[in-house]
Amino acid sequence: MTLPTRIGLAVGAVLALVVATLAFLALTDSPEPRATVEVAEGPSELVRDDSRVLGEPGSTGVTFVEFLDFECEACRATYPVVEQLRDVYGDRVTFVLRYLPLPGHVNAERAARAVESAALQGELEAMYSLMYETQVDWGESREPADALFRTYAEQLGLDLERYDADYASPEVAARVQRDVDDALRLGVTSTPTFYVDGELVQPRTVGDLVDPLEAALERAGAAG
Amino acid sequence: MSTTYDDDLDHRDERGDELTDDELAEWADEARDRRLGWLMLVGGLIGAVAAFTLVIERMKLLADPSYVPSCSFNPVLSCGSVMQTDQASVFGFSNPLIGLAAFPVVAAVGAALLGGARLSRWYWAGLQVGVVLGIAFVGWLVVQSIYVIGALCPYCMVVWAVMIPLAWHVTLRNAEAGVLGEGVARSGAVRFLRSWSLLGIVLVYLVVVAMITEAFWWYWSTLG
Repeated sequence: MTLPTRIGLAVGAVLALVVATLAFLALTDSPEPRATVEVAEGPSELVRDDSRVLGEPGSTGVTFVEFLDFECEACRATYPVVEQLRDVYGDRVTFVLRYLPLPGHVNAERAARAVESAALQGELEAMYSLMYETQVDWGESREPADALFRTYAEQLGLDLERYDADYASPEVAARVQRDVDDALRLGVTSTPTFYVDGELVQPRTVGDLVDPLEAALERAGAAG
Repeated sequence: MSTTYDDDLDHRDERGDELTDDELAEWADEARDRRLGWLMLVGGLIGAVAAFTLVIERMKLLADPSYVPSCSFNPVLSCGSVMQTDQASVFGFSNPLIGLAAFPVVAAVGAALLGGARLSRWYWAGLQVGVVLGIAFVGWLVVQSIYVIGALCPYCMVVWAVMIPLAWHVTLRNAEAGVLGEGVARSGAVRFLRSWSLLGIVLVYLVVVAMITEAFWWYWSTLG
């Protein structure tokens, strides 16, 4: 065997080891999200101090966390349900929004940045609703929807100069990415994923979301 | 591994066979083409199987949009999201259909070489055009997958992995045999690349692995 071949084999063997390690890590990555997150102990992967809250924080300390992707159809389908829950429980429960734009969606991360940029101007909820209401117009498209999202900002009467700066800023992108990182740490890889009071909920019906909310409120001693 | 050309040559010397330089060169060329035949047969078959699997998975996904392809493991290793992109059917039809047609040809040519076929210069030139188009397409897909789509499809990576040595060795063979011009055949660069072939291919792999590691660092860092 010639020297060049030996060197090639040696480097190849090292590379094969690296690839095998990465593949092993990726393949053993459990798709099951963590079932329980201790929320009583303060901020965690589930709710950070700076996590976005829809409306006002609830009175009981019970949290309802949704990991969502504005381009995901299932998220749009559950949007009216979450709105109903907010109607009923909004005063007592804190509804936390965590961004989880999935890599397969071209505009999901852009939408998250648009919503975060609106949130910086106090219009989180308006942009959040608008994204779902208009999802059919831009969802599943392969074309970047930056211009369209900007018209939404205009529609909401945002300071466009500031919106443009925020939308393109590394800070806003990093803010979204921090949510994504938290989701991955929890093993959350699909949307929508709900946690009610730190417990993972995989709802099939609206009741599946209501029951744990009621139970959590009862535990918090404020069911009535 | 079969005995190398060098080994065989030594035996000939020991036995004192009288070969003219021309005969020796021709014999060496045949040995080289036979080795290439093995690579083309095995590489072509692997590529064909990968392309076939991708086509089948695509068809299942068409029949049932909720179908989760067998290679969708997690957000990064996922062919479902990759398959549904525009890049996955650049020419208006599913990319793997090209592989399904082309890889069996590579395998068949490889088998022919093993069977002792001698192909004329124009045939090799055609093959050269094929591997150049193939590797260019794969290069584009690698960049799209890693940087634009942001997900890796395992079967696609099998195609990348076989296309790299195929393109390298077919091109090198043609360079040596004068298909790319007599000047090229005589150049020292070709001899250098021949002796460092294995390392060259490993380095190309290394570049791709480095790109994947860097681009998906956010993901790898959550594992382990």
